[in-house]
Amino acid sequence: MLSFLFLVFSFMALIPGYPILLGAFFICFGLFQTFQNGRETNDVLYSALLPIDKRDVVKARYIFVCLIQITAFILMGLLTALRMVFFASAAPYVNNAMMNSNPVFLAWTLLIFALFNTLFVGLFYKTAYKFGKPFVAFIVASILTVCIAEVVHHLPGLKFLNTSERLPLQLMLMLFALVIFALATVISCRTAQQNFDSLDL
Amino acid sequence: MTSILTVENLIKTYPAFRLGPVSFKVEAGSIMGFIGRNGAGKTTTLKSILNIVHPDSGSIHYFGQELPGNERAVKQRVGFAGGAVDYYPRKKIADIIAVTRNFYDNWDDDAYRKYMNIFSIDPQKAPRELSEGMKVKLNLAIALSHKAELLILDEPTSGLDPVSREELLEIFTALKERGVAILFSTHITSDLDKCADHITYIKKGELIASETMESFLSGHRMRGEGSNLEEIMLHYEKEDYREKFAE
Repeated sequence: MLSFLFLVFSFMALIPGYPILLGAFFICFGLFQTFQNGRETNDVLYSALLPIDKRDVVKARYIFVCLIQITAFILMGLLTALRMVFFASAAPYVNNAMMNSNPVFLAWTLLIFALFNTLFVGLFYKTAYKFGKPFVAFIVASILTVCIAEVVHHLPGLKFLNTSERLPLQLMLMLFALVIFALATVISCRTAQQNFDSLDL
Repeated sequence: MTSILTVENLIKTYPAFRLGPVSFKVEAGSIMGFIGRNGAGKTTTLKSILNIVHPDSGSIHYFGQELPGNERAVKQRVGFAGGAVDYYPRKKIADIIAVTRNFYDNWDDDAYRKYMNIFSIDPQKAPRELSEGMKVKLNLAIALSHKAELLILDEPTSGLDPVSREELLEIFTALKERGVAILFSTHITSDLDKCADHITYIKKGELIASETMESFLSGHRMRGEGSNLEEIMLHYEKEDYREKFAE
């Protein structure tokens, strides 16, 4: 339930003067709650006893995670388009020292999601029980990513990353991030399935 | 007779325990009792043949199909109950079943309602509101409600009152007559005296015997090792507990 509710953090894409990439982190935090709830209810055992392949327990969870992430991405995409079209000349966005929502922001969002799928979900399925270390790994990596993302658009020659300039290049970066997200998720899922298959439940 | 389940050279190794190699067959329309004392490896064996525990080696065939690669199809035809219901403790049973039933092609609502009625389980309750014995019965009701051709039950009578145990053994006998195969593990040997056709005995992870009940009993009777399952089990295990008392 919380995973769905936390989708509202997509609206952080509209906040000026704030590291809006944290919205992606909070969406992943909602997904973390799902894993926590799953552990409390012993969902892994319930799922493994159903007439499904044991590996499908993992696949189903990855599909759910991606569903939430893609929904968030679409929502953020729509809000980004809204901001770029209707509020492009609004002072808070023009004078924004922090990240503005644009295709590059969406690209960074996808990278945060890829980190969650690889670090948290992937490492979780090594035990299907312990999520402390996987979550710490994701927190460290994602916060570092947020910091790097906020610094990069201040570097000489890269200021365009925080504007609506060179849109075709920004869109290519976003597509590139989408490919990384897809590859990272698929590889992580396959590894997690192998790990889970050899676990004793 | 058709072999529903064939297990060959199953091995599972833990740091302080080794199971196997274990081999046995379960035939259609028969009841196999899987006996051994606590910690012998019964639960590990049953979970290994369903891939809930990952076996190190061995071959497992259900209905002529190997388990890896056919898990989904096999599990449609197999009912498993491993003790008490141990998931979603605060969710209403009716809500849990509303999801579970969708996964089974042959879910039988009439059978489900019948067994819930026999076991006196209120579907509006949550598992945490049930006693341990009732949770075991709930697990059994679910296992019995999708027309399974093979039932794998881990200590199904453990924690049940004598009347419920008798009811359950009658259900097993009725299912056996309909061609269902049943494999159930227990250390309550009197349950097997009443209904088992075959016995597989495990001691400290090792297979001691897997044969018909008749041949198992007559062989041990002839050797003076016991005239019923309980005496035979004491014969196998007595060295261990005498050694421990002597320490």
